[in-house]
Amino acid sequence: MYRKQVRRRRAVLALLIISSFLLLTITFGRSSGGLQDGVSTIFSPLQGVADRALKPARDMVDWFDKTFEARGENERLEEQLAKARREAAAGQVALQENAQLRKLVGLDRDPAIAASAYEPVTARVIARSPTVWHSTVTIDAGSDDDVAVDDPVIAGEGLVGRVSSVQAGSAQVALLSDNSSAVSAKVVPGGVQGSIEPAIGNPEDLILDFINASKDVTRGQTVVTSGWQAQGLGSLFPANIPIGEVTRASILEQEASQQVHVRPFADLANLDLMQVLTGGPK
Amino acid sequence: MIVTPRIFARLAVITVVGVVLQLSYFSRVAVFDASPDLLPALVVVLGLLGGSLTGAVVGFSIGLLVDCLTAGTLGASSLVLLGTGYLAGLFRERFDIHSLLVPAVLCMALTLFAEVGFGAVQVMLGIDAPVSVLVIRDMVLKSIYAFFGGWLIYLAVRRILRPALVEEARVRRRRQPRVLGRV
Repeated sequence: MYRKQVRRRRAVLALLIISSFLLLTITFGRSSGGLQDGVSTIFSPLQGVADRALKPARDMVDWFDKTFEARGENERLEEQLAKARREAAAGQVALQENAQLRKLVGLDRDPAIAASAYEPVTARVIARSPTVWHSTVTIDAGSDDDVAVDDPVIAGEGLVGRVSSVQAGSAQVALLSDNSSAVSAKVVPGGVQGSIEPAIGNPEDLILDFINASKDVTRGQTVVTSGWQAQGLGSLFPANIPIGEVTRASILEQEASQQVHVRPFADLANLDLMQVLTGGPK
Repeated sequence: MIVTPRIFARLAVITVVGVVLQLSYFSRVAVFDASPDLLPALVVVLGLLGGSLTGAVVGFSIGLLVDCLTAGTLGASSLVLLGTGYLAGLFRERFDIHSLLVPAVLCMALTLFAEVGFGAVQVMLGIDAPVSVLVIRDMVLKSIYAFFGGWLIYLAVRRILRPALVEEARVRRRRQPRVLGRV
């Protein structure tokens, strides 16, 4: 009797392990089709209700956590404000000159960033993945709201990620800190181009890679999406969406390149509301 | 554990509530820049109370549900959590639990095992991005949170599943026997 129980237990364990490996093999690198969509469709209303019901409790925990960080954050924000004021003044002058020059060469299009071609859809975060290896959030907007896979997602401060899967009433967003994320970006001013990757485990640090060691990148410069287009191919993200600020650059001597560390403008660890840029060119 | 249809329903509800609470609440709060991950602790508790088979099945189910809801690669979390639940159940089948500290310590240790396991599975699937050293801090903090969370989860789940548990020796307060008619 006991041996029968042991045999049964081992058989079930073996079956579960084989099933896990089968699922891994079948779904690696691609969607599972209907299963994930079906489960997400069923659970997203429940997650939405849970999110709203638990918001006061979440805010209370955040209040305690933020109190510890407030002092350092305050000093950093004061420096940023002073810098932003200086840049705003210079920006006004540049905009004026730009408008005059465009008139001169006959360009009468709006000089706003290419994101004006998109229809933003505001959505609330209702769930988040529990591990740092897979950094995704679930939002309460889906295909019913014209959200599609690969739509860029921004928060008030800057780029957050892209839509990785969509259901009728919800969608999953792969954040910039997700291990699958890669965004073509450029440093302004200067125009140095590279690819933004996450530093897995640290949502406050992104890596701008593939920068030649001879390029001059300094602390405080802004990194934006490059929005490159070439021969029918193009970046998923429109140009000039702010991503973050350069914090430091380290030279990789063996590779004759440098790794530029970027602090994202969006608080990837504490996202609540975001906008999905729908309707753009694919 | 004696699994009747009612107990199975309770297990299912515990699983669903646990996953929804984790994804909608615990994953979104951060203390010292790390969010608690209480799903491994929940799997450990169910393994401790139900045995290795229950632990493995519940771990597989919770992992599959999480992968579906976070659009992750199916099977990744299932593999790690079924191993976690099985080990917890195996512990229960070999040793007795004499103190409430044992489930808490086991939750802490097996959560660390699960977090390392998640990382190992991601390495197996391939990681293109650099990995920060802060991942280690995140793992350690999660296991510490699991110590405290696991203790509470153990008390709550044990109460919910009490009808199904094989009679445990309970320490009863000894009272003076009352004799009828005497004040």
